[in-house]
Amino acid sequence: MIALARAELLKLRSTRTALGLFIVVLFVTLVPLTVLLIAVPKDWLETDGVSGFLSTASALVPLVLLVFGILGMTNEYRHGTITYSYLVTPRRWQVMAMKLVVYAIVGIVTMLIAVALVYVVIRAGGAIRGVQIDASGGATLGDYARQIVVAGLITTFGVALGALFRAQVVTVAGVLIWALAVENIIVVLKPAIGRWLPFTVFNAVSAGQMTGGGSGSVTTDLLTRPQAFVVSLVYIAIVSVAAIFISLRRDVT
Amino acid sequence: MPVIKAEHLSKRFGKKVLAVDDVSFAIESGTITGVLGPNGAGKTTTLRMILDLVRPTAGSVTILGSRYRDLRTPAARVGALLDSSGFHPGRSGRNALRVIATGAGVSNARVDETLALVELEGAAKRAVKGYSTGMKQRLALAAALLGDPEVLILDEPANGLDPEGMLWLRTFLRKLATEGRTVLVSSHVLAEVEQTVDDILIMSRGKLLAQGPIHELTASTQPVVRVRSPQAEKLEAALLSSGAAVNRLNDALAVRGPSAAEVGDIAHAQGLALHELLTEQPSLEELFLQIAGTRREQ
Repeated sequence: MIALARAELLKLRSTRTALGLFIVVLFVTLVPLTVLLIAVPKDWLETDGVSGFLSTASALVPLVLLVFGILGMTNEYRHGTITYSYLVTPRRWQVMAMKLVVYAIVGIVTMLIAVALVYVVIRAGGAIRGVQIDASGGATLGDYARQIVVAGLITTFGVALGALFRAQVVTVAGVLIWALAVENIIVVLKPAIGRWLPFTVFNAVSAGQMTGGGSGSVTTDLLTRPQAFVVSLVYIAIVSVAAIFISLRRDVT
Repeated sequence: MPVIKAEHLSKRFGKKVLAVDDVSFAIESGTITGVLGPNGAGKTTTLRMILDLVRPTAGSVTILGSRYRDLRTPAARVGALLDSSGFHPGRSGRNALRVIATGAGVSNARVDETLALVELEGAAKRAVKGYSTGMKQRLALAAALLGDPEVLILDEPANGLDPEGMLWLRTFLRKLATEGRTVLVSSHVLAEVEQTVDDILIMSRGKLLAQGPIHELTASTQPVVRVRSPQAEKLEAALLSSGAAVNRLNDALAVRGPSAAEVGDIAHAQGLALHELLTEQPSLEELFLQIAGTRREQ
């Protein structure tokens, strides 16, 4: 299993996909953050609302990680590398399980870096502009931890979805449309159903940090954090088991 | 004990496509066996079933005494070349092999060794997307050899190779066999493997039509008498009236049925001059056509 993990990491290091992920993460977090730090008037920067908003600069990272997870799996089918993966490790569940684990770790590390970068850039920006900004935006270590765990879960979710659907463009487009549009519409129109949907559940786990709020449920429409955490794990388990099950039965032609 | 043993192997894709139909065979150790047949014969599906990439609808297949998935360190025992496109285009040739080697527990030194073996050291650092088809094919062969396996399964390995590459491949396969390895190689270009294989499996439309040592199968089929005459038309008519099967191209005739002596006698009786008269064992291609034709008639 260690050899499998090393092979997965080498796959990531030996193409530009991981580098692309890092560049996109930097772009979606640091570019808007830097622009705001430069453009916003000094006295505004010191208000809680603005500092809370700045600290959410990494909010788009889970979405990037979701796509990264989908690409990580669908690329195997697209380029036919899955054939070698299964030839080397014919017990397919091991290949799938290791990919889910490795991508979860990559998601966690990426989010950790993103959160740390946002914190450092806000502090540096404040120092350069000569103002005191609360770089955490009121978030606790627990809020950060939840945000980082959710990033790992979402990356895994992407891998599992990629294994289920295989077709790269269709899966990426379908999941983004669902996450950004369909699910939000359902949440607005039918909140009793919407609060149970996957991306709303993931959001509920890390919502305290995302909104700059404290602990407990953020709005009455979302599940409470403990509920959301359990439901998100159930989602991951169902999709991962389905992905492994289908991978076991699928012909590699 | 056979190295590869398939028993009543069948594979159906969906309800309509029966890709492999009740195929049974055994491959002995240290031989080069050719799986021959036209495109769509079921060769690739059969090879993929041996490697557990495609699940049989019925029947079973073992390799080295067990199912592929039950082999311990499969890459060290079985090497496979299935598709030259199984590499990420953005990855260098060397890294593509390193990914496979790392998963298989094979050293980086062996990666460089196999790259040298297939004469790709010079292109090892280039991205695979810049490789020619022949280079990708060599890279896939290197991937198959990474674990220094005792069995090699090669699906259309000569695809994309130029004549020089094909000669290289033939020599290479022979060398592998002399090392005591068992090689199972598929091809739809029969002439390409004719000089390489010991045994053959002939497949068509999912069925196994014939199997055995190549010299036995060719010996069991009707020889062809090649004859050239300046009065080929008259000779053709005489041979046809004697019940022979004749194909004529200008002054050359290919005759099935009578022996060379009988053809000579018929020509002599008609007062026809002959410029050439010889008996040829049928080529693999002719053998295939004979076998496939016979089975279709049945």
